[in-house]
Amino acid sequence: MSDIDSEQDELMGLLMAIAHEDRQAFQRLYQRISGRMFGLCLKLANQRDLAEEAVQDAFVQIWHNASEYHNERGAPLSWMLTIARYRTLDLMRNRKARPTSGDAHLERVADERDGPLDESLRVAGSAELRGCLDELSETQRDSILLSYYRGFTHDELSEALSSPIGTVKSWIRRGLMALKRCLER
Amino acid sequence: MKRTPERIEALAAEYVLGSLHGAARRRFERWMMESVRVRQEVWFWEEKLGHLGARIEEEQPPASVWAGIERRLWPREDKSVPAVAANDAPGRWFWPGWSMLATAAALVLAVVLVQQPEPQMDGRLSGAIVKADVSDPLWLVSESSLDRQLKLRPVAATAAQQGKDYELWIVPENGQPLSLGVIPVGGTYQVTLDDEARALLSNSRTLAISLEPVGGSPTGQPTGPILHVAKLYEL
Repeated sequence: MSDIDSEQDELMGLLMAIAHEDRQAFQRLYQRISGRMFGLCLKLANQRDLAEEAVQDAFVQIWHNASEYHNERGAPLSWMLTIARYRTLDLMRNRKARPTSGDAHLERVADERDGPLDESLRVAGSAELRGCLDELSETQRDSILLSYYRGFTHDELSEALSSPIGTVKSWIRRGLMALKRCLER
Repeated sequence: MKRTPERIEALAAEYVLGSLHGAARRRFERWMMESVRVRQEVWFWEEKLGHLGARIEEEQPPASVWAGIERRLWPREDKSVPAVAANDAPGRWFWPGWSMLATAAALVLAVVLVQQPEPQMDGRLSGAIVKADVSDPLWLVSESSLDRQLKLRPVAATAAQQGKDYELWIVPENGQPLSLGVIPVGGTYQVTLDDEARALLSNSRTLAISLEPVGGSPTGQPTGPILHVAKLYEL
């Protein structure tokens, strides 16, 4: 059994205990995954206080909803990170707390397209997903990854990638469908 | 919009990615509630794209995050276990929204002492909710322990944005904020304080206003941004 599998088994066990209101398990779960969750929220929001709030909200939700987790929801870690990610996106949109705006915004995106997005983020994910992302065109892949990691709206993507909004939308839509076909193979 | 398999497939992917928002996102969430087929499509993407998040660089959240989770899940115990509360110096803010305050530069908070024409002997609390770039106070606040009334009189306050309401809270020194209801648009808002509310307010003397969905917070705790905080003074 790989490390990843055994970790998922452990997280699954913790979730089952949490569903029975085991607080120690809840605390262990927090110790295990809060670093990864906070890292993800922080990358998305680029704002520490918002990321902290999202992690807090996500764990409150996990405590209440642990019994609703089941296999179809994917691996336990994905499920929990997804909760945190949605919460971060909600907070970002509710507060319109965009990290930056105007030119500074574009510059930052441009920088990161050469930096972290191309390197560390492009190689993230399971081997299967990575392989399928590699099959996409560069623009499709960039728009999907920017949406995922930065929470960019269509408008923001259109600015960041200097392309009309309709074009950006179709990159995402076609990219996602191509990704699905590939993942289903 | 008709729920065709193609549309479900495309929208589920965009939902999970986060690029679906506004009314379209809400409509899709209704679809999810109504159909297991739609939920399964969403789960497919959550599982697949979830791997993207799993290998991101870790960063440990500050200890206050865990403390906040415990406070929210088990607030009553929090009061009876001083060891937990001892981590926080008196006067620190306790619910997650407060962390926003530190950096919410657009809404610099200030407190002014409002002179009351006729100070009374019953321990009246008074203050104003102000905003840095507005010269007049937004609301004037007065509380009288004699008739147990808290009054909020609008001066420069404007209505909340469409689809939103302002909700008034007592911020206790420890534990969760207590709602004093939604502030109606225009006219003086008057609320009668019960014993618990009076005790909390006389201790902390702190009020807050948050932005909530119409009709107020659905959870009983602030869900939107904290717009204003005011400390009241005894006259």
